[in-house]
Amino acid sequence: MARETPLLPVEDAREMALFFVVAALCFLASLAALTAKSTYGAAKSWTAEVEGELTVTLQDVDRRAAEDAKKLIEKVDGVRSAHLLSKDEIDKLLEPNFGNRGLPDSLPLPQLIAVTADPSIRDMGPTLQRKLTEAGYESAVDEHADWAGDVRRMLAIARIVALTAVALLGSTAVAVIAFATHAALLARKDIVDVLHLAGARDRFIASLFERRFWVLGLRAGAVGALLALGAAAATIFAVKAHGARTGLLPELSLDFADLLVLVMTPVIAGFAARLAARITVIRSLKSVM
Amino acid sequence: MTLSRLDLFDDVAVRLDSVSLRYDTSDDVFSGIDLTLKQGSFSFLTGASGAGKTSLLKLLYLALKPTNGEVSLFGRPTSRLTRDQLSAMRRRVGVVFQEFRLLDHLTAYENVALPLRVVGRKEADYRPDVEELLTWVGLGKRLHAHPHTLSGGEQQRVAIARAVVTQPDIIIADEPTGNVDPEMGARLMRLFIELNKRRGTTVIIATHDLGLVRQVNAPVFRLTNGLLVEDVEFGGSGSGRRRTDPAQLAEGE
Repeated sequence: MARETPLLPVEDAREMALFFVVAALCFLASLAALTAKSTYGAAKSWTAEVEGELTVTLQDVDRRAAEDAKKLIEKVDGVRSAHLLSKDEIDKLLEPNFGNRGLPDSLPLPQLIAVTADPSIRDMGPTLQRKLTEAGYESAVDEHADWAGDVRRMLAIARIVALTAVALLGSTAVAVIAFATHAALLARKDIVDVLHLAGARDRFIASLFERRFWVLGLRAGAVGALLALGAAAATIFAVKAHGARTGLLPELSLDFADLLVLVMTPVIAGFAARLAARITVIRSLKSVM
Repeated sequence: MTLSRLDLFDDVAVRLDSVSLRYDTSDDVFSGIDLTLKQGSFSFLTGASGAGKTSLLKLLYLALKPTNGEVSLFGRPTSRLTRDQLSAMRRRVGVVFQEFRLLDHLTAYENVALPLRVVGRKEADYRPDVEELLTWVGLGKRLHAHPHTLSGGEQQRVAIARAVVTQPDIIIADEPTGNVDPEMGARLMRLFIELNKRRGTTVIIATHDLGLVRQVNAPVFRLTNGLLVEDVEFGGSGSGRRRTDPAQLAEGE
């Protein structure tokens, strides 16, 4: 005989349905994991962008005095660059509020200096404020701390939601597999009984189901991960193809960590399926003599 | 018979002590049954349909636990065995089920080889034995047939081959000749008798076929009204309900 027939029959329609369900759950779990990871990346990126960025507002000064203030700022330790915004740049900045026809000439505008400083240096805002005050400028220095705090809080919530979704989807997949294993065991009670009465140990019978569900979990997890990979790639491609402005989306670029998430999905699904099968079979067998 | 006297017999294959069985909330199927069968004995179990023959056999091949009492095999009370020890004990018992219980996705050859696969034997080692056994029961040309393509009689022969392939110490057969013609029935009975005489295998056969019972000079136990009675009409040595004495059983052989 070339090859022994497996003691459990080849998969049937029930297992195909289970395969579909597990693949769908793995797809959703992978997407949720990718979302959680990208949210974390975006939070780091956004806050890193904001940290070290300051805006200095000078009241009641002309352009020449503002240029002097800019030079003063550039000399402060830790300041990497300072840029005095032109009228056009200020127009563009206020475009969402005043439209694209420009600001009325009669509207008094402050002079704005965008400062980039070393984010590791603490108290840069108060330092600049003090220096400008000492030089006789009436100024306001904005470190964007409130905005950065809002971003951090919002992204932390989004990350918790995504991680909760991963946990829920993962545990649902395990529960579904456990339920399906139990159903498979009932459907194949005749085989289990014959093996049991032929003297097969519980571990031997469980190993048959473990192998079956390990392979099912691996395959379904791989399909789900591949679908998630396709969905993520399609989203990134669509966003970039339309030249959309991106904030969170660039973090969806598939790096090594993302690929690791996708590779681990089928392995975790396989292990979960195997463990669920083992526990279910051993528990069921212990209910008989 | 007292327990202390029974303990003198170290060659007891099966012993039931005050065994009762009840399914869920129903009445007792049987109760207070005592039975002792020596190793190498040959016995019949008869009784009307629903009398509890199959249930009694299930206790013997360790598919069920008794509600009360103790089932001992080879001198070991089964209630005290671990699950692994129970599995090992089941390997010493070959069972021919009334409904055959063949696995439909396996061939006749693979069904017979099943108990050998379960214990980890290599196919190359057991292949000649399995083929020879199937040839002996007249299925040498149907090795690779699946059960659903076999007749009832052929399936029964596969089931019998599966029960004896490991050369177990006890063979328990539930209506083993019910689906075969008289000639094949006689042949299968000769198989059981040969295993009993040559290997000392303990054989317990449940049957309705009184003709079959008459062919073999062996004790006959009848289940009636929840009690186990040795049937005097077929070579029994007592009358009415009595407990089976191994010594008397040996004389009966």
